[in-house]
Amino acid sequence: MAEVRLVDIEKKYGNFLAVPKQSLTIHDGEFLVLLGPSGCGKTTTMRMIAGLEDITSGDILIKGERINDKPPKDRDIAMVFQNYGLYPHMTVRQNIEYPLKLRGVSRADRKTRVQETADKVELGALLERRPSELSGGQRQRVALARAIVRTPSIFLMDEPLSNLDAKLRVTMRAELKHLHHELGVTTVYVTHDQMEAMTLANRVAVMREGKIVQLDTPKKIYAEPADLFVAGFIGSPSMNLIDGEVSGGVFRADGVEIPVTLEDRKGVVLGIRPEELAITQDASAAISGKLYALELTGESTLVTLRNGTTSACARGHADFEADIDSPCHLSPKDGARIHLFDRASGERLG
Amino acid sequence: MQDRLLPYWLLIPAFVIVLATTIYPLAYSFITSFRAWDLTKSRRPGDFVGIDNYVYAASESAFLNSLWVTFVFVITSVVLTVILAMALALLLRRKGPMHTFTRIILILPFAMSPALIGVSYRFMFNPEFGVLAKGIGAVFPALQGVPWLADPQLAMGILVLTDVWHWTPYMTFMCLGGLASIPRETEEAARIDGASNLRIVFGIILPQMRGVILVMAVLKTIFALKMFDQVVTLTGGGPGTSTETLAYFIFNVGFRWFDMGYASALAWILTAIMMFISIWYVRMLLSERKMATA
Repeated sequence: MAEVRLVDIEKKYGNFLAVPKQSLTIHDGEFLVLLGPSGCGKTTTMRMIAGLEDITSGDILIKGERINDKPPKDRDIAMVFQNYGLYPHMTVRQNIEYPLKLRGVSRADRKTRVQETADKVELGALLERRPSELSGGQRQRVALARAIVRTPSIFLMDEPLSNLDAKLRVTMRAELKHLHHELGVTTVYVTHDQMEAMTLANRVAVMREGKIVQLDTPKKIYAEPADLFVAGFIGSPSMNLIDGEVSGGVFRADGVEIPVTLEDRKGVVLGIRPEELAITQDASAAISGKLYALELTGESTLVTLRNGTTSACARGHADFEADIDSPCHLSPKDGARIHLFDRASGERLG
Repeated sequence: MQDRLLPYWLLIPAFVIVLATTIYPLAYSFITSFRAWDLTKSRRPGDFVGIDNYVYAASESAFLNSLWVTFVFVITSVVLTVILAMALALLLRRKGPMHTFTRIILILPFAMSPALIGVSYRFMFNPEFGVLAKGIGAVFPALQGVPWLADPQLAMGILVLTDVWHWTPYMTFMCLGGLASIPRETEEAARIDGASNLRIVFGIILPQMRGVILVMAVLKTIFALKMFDQVVTLTGGGPGTSTETLAYFIFNVGFRWFDMGYASALAWILTAIMMFISIWYVRMLLSERKMATA
């Protein structure tokens, strides 16, 4: 059972608080993604688990054992780095073999396991090449193979796909997901790409300024963002966030009138996802304005309207066409989720 | 037409200077190396003697001795400097409270004139009043009153010491530059993979420093081959001829015994050795680059 528990861990660099005191439990076999913008403390958190960074206070437990003072090699972890971290002077075979060699695995056993692992990540034919002779995707596979070759209890992956081009990233994402399904090893994955987080994770921990602001399944985080930050961070295109106020059970902003269940108050942000807005000809629709932009994405067209301070985007049919600056109306679809947040604190109101 | 010729006109002054100060003396010394020329007898080079000067060098014990002395000096000095520089760089690469201060202090020995270093060490190893001779004597009573520079082996040791002391800082900075270019992830990956600190240094860091170490070793070799200043001011080539390096021997042949033809031949032998090392170095470096960018 490779459960990882972070208990009240905190990280300070001098006077700078990188990760404020917090706790997190990563279940056995789980694929947990630490998601957040650059500098939010996600990599620091992962490096603390790896033992590459000392923790200022708190405890880290792996399989119930406190490992604060254990060196990285004794934590039974494997890590995949953003820049691969391959040994440039070694061949692919030697790179994959290295952790086994250091752990005293016999030569014959090493040979078999390296071949098996290389085949698993489709590197079998490249074993005698050096990293400099490989493409980005192949290098990433070597890094993966080196991590899985000794079947550790925990995988740590620090933005492993961020150096790959968009197409390769999608392919590798699927491979990672399949690999996790096949091996069932507890995995902690750091990324700033919400799409990666949504597609890979069993649970996502959204981080901001060192703190975990929401920890839940991707579905739940998408459907019920805990606060304004999460609402804006998750989803592509991101959720429409419209500044306005509530009076008489109606949310009002420039060109917007949507009935809501909230007492009268100012400084309210209404959130609604683009796919939950329908384009309509009805002039009395909930959101009205002038067409600002049309963006064809292939399977749909993103329609953006503006009215004063209001800007809203809807996902329309791929064939939708209209003139820029022509009147445009959007209304929430049946069953659309309307999110309300407090502008000042970002807290969810309903 | 004028515009096309202008760059060549502008190059002429530099070309003339290089011709006068480098090409001409080199060519002149090369021609002289095939002639007999005793400066005490004639102001002009004498008859052509073919390769006699070179043939004579191959059998002259004083030259062969200087070649051996140079070989011993170069090997010990290069090996010690590179090892020490690498070790110091590994210690200094992590930032600590004394980081900047140590780096500033470190550059001082390299800023000193080699001739001055020779004089200083000569004083410091004087058995009667030398601070180092006294200090060593105080710590190891058996070494009290040892005539450091009068013993052939010890004199060579001290000559090597002065050179290592002079060059280690510069080489340390080269190593620090090389270390900074090694991706941190490779070291961290090795730590996670289970490598000990020693194994990380020898198995991960040093192989990635191959190119830098090669440059250091070749540069240091070329400079060590030219060792002259400290020999003059520290040992004067002695005791006997135990520290008479090739450069110092050539100086003696040319400017003490005024045998310019023979001195020119010896200078070309030294040049040939350095050219051979340089060519080998360039070839190694090119193959290194080819490997890195393959």
